[in-house]
Parts: sequence; structure tokens; C-alpha cells
Amino acid sequence: MTQQAPSIRLDSGLEIGYSTPLARFGQEVDLAGGTHFLLARNGRGKTTLLRTLAGTQKAVSGNFRVNGYVQYLPEDLRFDSEITPSIVFRTLLPKARRQEALDLASNIELDVRKPYGRLSTGNRRKTSLIVAEFSVKPDRGNILLLDEPFSGLDAFARQAFEEIWKNSASNVLRLVSCHPDYDSMAMPSALMIDGDRARYFKGADQTWSGLKALMN
Amino acid sequence: MRLFRLTFATILQRKAWVICVFAVLVLPFALPMISSATEKPILIQPARILAAWSTLWVCALFWGLFTAAREGETNAKTGVGEYFQTTGISPTRQLFEIWLAIFCFIAPLAVITAGICQFAATPADPVEQVMWWTLNLQYTALFLLVMAPLLALATALASRFGGITGFTVTLLITVYGLYGVGYLESMLKVEANPILHGIWTLSPHYSFADLTQRLVFKTGALPVSAFINMTLYFVGILAFYVGLSRLCFRTKLSA
Repeated sequence: MTQQAPSIRLDSGLEIGYSTPLARFGQEVDLAGGTHFLLARNGRGKTTLLRTLAGTQKAVSGNFRVNGYVQYLPEDLRFDSEITPSIVFRTLLPKARRQEALDLASNIELDVRKPYGRLSTGNRRKTSLIVAEFSVKPDRGNILLLDEPFSGLDAFARQAFEEIWKNSASNVLRLVSCHPDYDSMAMPSALMIDGDRARYFKGADQTWSGLKALMN
Repeated sequence: MRLFRLTFATILQRKAWVICVFAVLVLPFALPMISSATEKPILIQPARILAAWSTLWVCALFWGLFTAAREGETNAKTGVGEYFQTTGISPTRQLFEIWLAIFCFIAPLAVITAGICQFAATPADPVEQVMWWTLNLQYTALFLLVMAPLLALATALASRFGGITGFTVTLLITVYGLYGVGYLESMLKVEANPILHGIWTLSPHYSFADLTQRLVFKTGALPVSAFINMTLYFVGILAFYVGLSRLCFRTKLSA
């Protein structure tokens, strides 16, 4: 079976924002399968960039190309307070992957029988991340645009998701906006919005510590 | 159909539909017992018909429109609509899937009501029995034709303007169409007024779809030509509301 590799191309001159630009790409950026981080201080355009790439918001100017099955997971995505994660999985996930999803939920201590409204922030986040991860299409390239997926997530759950990310890097491109919480966090590929400029940094040894210095 | 399944499961889980099912099943039998029908047994069947269809209208207008508005608002406010849109589910498709989930609860209520009228309030006269099936089917069809676009409109308005607006506006439109248009007509009979006449002409005449009186007074099924005309009229309203709903529907709150 041939599967198309996921990719994102951001042309030089791409401007994101609402009526006025928030940030402008001064260089062309090509992203392939794997995990890419999106870094910026609050209100600088991380969510705006993800929404632009997801197609729910227009770019102010310039062009970009997104190649693959897109899922944008908003930071504030939430389900009805009375339904349980188990119902969410049953209605949204393909039957073949449901058991796998329930196993992961059990592994990361998500009580799938508890009403969504009574789950903690972290457990709500786990629910939507599981929905996104197990909705990935195995026969084609996928693009996951994740808006602050780690907020509220415990270290164990985070590690479990990072493991999934590592194992599916070939057919899933993940662009992950986040505020890293430890300096040694590896970030071999990172898009950074600094002031009104958006830049791309790549390097096998790149960590949050070095990028933070550039951002400030 | 992931959004349909999610919406359907959500409504099912909230369990408010149980009250509607209970009301539609029980009130047609309970209400005649506390009416004057207990003294005049001949009135039991008309009272049951009246109770059955009135309960259905109340459930559909209050629970149905409220649920539709709530689902429309929730879809836009919680990020679910935006998530589905990015996966390729267009706003039109989302509106359809939400609408279908709600309609799947309303349609059985109408079928139950028609069933009660058919089997628990059948006239004794064999001639009247023949038209009973037809009239019940006509009423069910017209009721669903009226409610279907209103549910879509409630969903769409709520997604853009909020749940209270979506519910209130559609409820007022329906109540006006059922009763207000009749009052307007009475006013026009007393004194002609071109502006009011224009409003009356453009108003949704939902009272045409309310065949309760025909059932109560056993005046027979609608003639085929009249039923076709009414169906076409309500299909026209449906087309207008569908277009309006699509224009109003939003999958996410405006930035």
C-alpha cells in the first residue's frame, strides 16, 4: 500500500493574524513527518498559526500548503459534561482502534466511565488527545495540529503520548504548540514566533534552553 | 457520521428525552381522566386525541427546539465544530448531522402519538375508521415537515447568536405560525389593511399542519389535492429555512 507522506510548506512572506498581521515568515519552511514544536509567548499567534494551517482562519497574506489528513485539536476542546470518555471513544473512533484507545486510557489512568464534566483538566486533555491520535488514518499522511496538548497533563501521560509520536513519525506530522517546562527538553525542529517574526530552527541537539535564549 | 453519533449519544445520555417519551405515552391516557370526559365517556376519545397531539407539540416545541439550540451552541462554543471542520466535515454536513440526531428523537415521538390516536382513539364507525389511517398519516407527515426545518433553524441560530436566541426565536416563530396568524386573519376580517395583509401572506401558516380539530371532530382526511398543496407549501418553507439555517450556521465562535 502506498501512503502519501504528510507535509507542510510555509512560503516566505506568509502573514498570519486577524485584520492586522501578528507574525510574518521571512523564510520558506518545509515540515515533514515527525514532531515539530511551535513556540511563542502568550498572545503572539500560536493558535492563529494552527488555525490558519487547519483552514478555519484565513492568512492575512502569503501562501502555504498542507498535505495530509488534518486534525486540529483546539486547546479548549471539550465534550458534553454528561457523557463519558468511553462514549466519546465509541462514537468517534474507528471500531478497529477502540480497544487500543481504551488500553491506553487505562494505562494513563483515565477513568473512561466518569462523566466528562467531572474529569480534571488533565484527564479531559487525555480524552481529546486519544481521540486525535486514534483517529489517525493508517493508509495516508496525517497532520495533527495540537494546541498546547501538555497543559494539565501529568509526566507519565505525556511520556506515553511522546512514545506514540515517536512510533508514528513516518506518516504523522505533528505541529505542537507548547510552553516547555524544563530546559533540557529536546526540540530538534521548532517554529518560533518572536515579536512579529516567525522563524524556523532545526538541529539534532536543539533544546528548549537554547531556543529560549533566542526568544528572549 | 461521527458528529451524528456523538450528538445522538449526548442527547441519549442526558436522558431528558425520557420525560418526553413518558409524557407522550402516558398523558394521552392520564389527562382525559381528570377532564370532563370522565362524566361523559363519549368525550374520552376526543380528549385523548387532544391530549396526545398537544403533548407532542409541547414536547417538540420546548424540548426539541431547546435541544436543537443547545447542540448548535455547544458545537460552536466547545471547539467540537472547529475540530470536525478541520477533519473535512463541512459546516453544511455538520448542520445536517446535528439536525439528524435531534430529528431521530422527534420522529419516534410523532410516530408514538399517531399510534396512540390510531389504536387507542379509533372511531367506532367503520366509515370513519377508513379515513382514520389516512388522517393520522397526513398529520404525522405535516407535523414532521413543520418541525424538521425549525430544528435546523434553532441549531443554526444558536451556533451564531447563542442558545437562548436560537430557542426563543424559533419558539416564537412556531407559536406565531400556529396561533398568531389566525388572530391576524381575524383582525383583517374586521378591518382590511394592506400592510397586515402582506405580513399575513408571508407568515408561516403552521395552523394548516395542525389537524387536531379534524381528528377531534372526525371531519375526515384531507382531500389529496389539499394535502399535496399543503405539503408543497411546507416544503417551500423548509427550503427557505434550510437556506437561512446554512447561512447562519457557524462551526466556531467568531474571533
